[in-house]
Amino acid sequence: MSAMDLYTTAGSAIVVVLLVLVAWAMGFRKAAQLDADTLARELAAAEPRGRLADAVFSADGRSAIARLADGKLLTARVMADGVSLRILPAGAAKLSLRDGNAIVAFADIGYPPLSLKLKEEAPAWLKALAGEQT
Amino acid sequence: MRDPAPPPFEIPDIITYAVPGFVLLIILEMIYVRAAGKGRYQAADSASSLMMGLGNQIMGILVGFVAIAAYLWVSQYRLFDLGWTWPVMLACFFAEDLAYYWFHRIAHERRWFWASHVVHHSSQHYNLTTALRQTWTGVLGFSFIFWLPLVYIGFPPAMVFMFSAISLVYQFWIHTEAIGRMGPLEWVMNTPSHHRVHHAINARYLDANYAGVLIIWDRMFGSFVPEDDKEKPRYGIVSQLGTFNPFRIAFHEWAGIFRDVRQAKNLREVLGYMFGPPGWSPDGSRKTSASIKREWAEAQQHGAAIVAE
Repeated sequence: MSAMDLYTTAGSAIVVVLLVLVAWAMGFRKAAQLDADTLARELAAAEPRGRLADAVFSADGRSAIARLADGKLLTARVMADGVSLRILPAGAAKLSLRDGNAIVAFADIGYPPLSLKLKEEAPAWLKALAGEQT
Repeated sequence: MRDPAPPPFEIPDIITYAVPGFVLLIILEMIYVRAAGKGRYQAADSASSLMMGLGNQIMGILVGFVAIAAYLWVSQYRLFDLGWTWPVMLACFFAEDLAYYWFHRIAHERRWFWASHVVHHSSQHYNLTTALRQTWTGVLGFSFIFWLPLVYIGFPPAMVFMFSAISLVYQFWIHTEAIGRMGPLEWVMNTPSHHRVHHAINARYLDANYAGVLIIWDRMFGSFVPEDDKEKPRYGIVSQLGTFNPFRIAFHEWAGIFRDVRQAKNLREVLGYMFGPPGWSPDGSRKTSASIKREWAEAQQHGAAIVAE
């Protein structure tokens, strides 16, 4: 790595920081919130034939777990101003309940474990889904 | 050793020279999005895109010599001695753009190359920072092999590199929702409209518009899909990422290949997981672009039949 390479890399790093600061200063930091309507809308866009059967939302509205009518598991997490969904067969992700949290772990490192602080006690369907795998 | 013909002029570092322009255009686009409410920006998403671009630059410095060495090695066995003349440069421009088309198409259709290219598609946003969301593993994944035939024919390696750089710079500005249609240019050139389709995950838009500079290749090879004003593109990848962490973004598909290959039961499965279409699985239980498009087409037909009744 030459001195010129070091300078251009350092310069690029500074430009990255500056551009992110500009974006932040211009107000591009809106965060999405998940609720039943948003989840249904996101599902319709991703899987038009999917139907929500049950859903739980985290206390902070940033993540959700749902069961679809065909038995599949849906997870959703807020990604800044967007939402990232995963729809997978029940059992394809590891679901557990611990201390008022529902935790879903995925094999894909592109989708880190999802931990939901539940507003209230886990509903029976969620307990059943977690129990099926323990 | 047969040295390739040296360029008759000093080739500037085209991408480095373009960076100030990139920065200026990104800021102008942000202002436009804020003022016009058309397009989307999000600081966290832009940060991860720009970090991927920075990582791509660092990887170029660290391992870019592998591609250069491959070009020079193949150049020794070139069929013709094509010099730096205007007709040769014109031919090289078209040949490079055609090579890019096939690289890009195969990068979508074969998981090995998709594992690198997926990075560029992993944002749910579509703006000028998305253009800079680039892979860290392109050279290590041997993406450069698609340009080796040009060097084998006899185009000087420096000329091929020059047109590759020009193509990359060209492709920057088309990553925007701020520009609609561009009239007759849409017939020949890759434009923001064509490239929005390419980045979309709507079933009707999947695996389309692989062009670099000229859209003619898609029209010739049957992969052209026009943007439909009635169907707004949704951006990202079919299995959306749940992270802005650059390392997870860079390596998630490679990790997926590794995980699948480790569980493969025979050589057919190993090859399928590595070189099959993204989403390939031995039992067909996962979704591929083809299966998604098939389901969509069936749903369309079903809907049309209901309307007809």
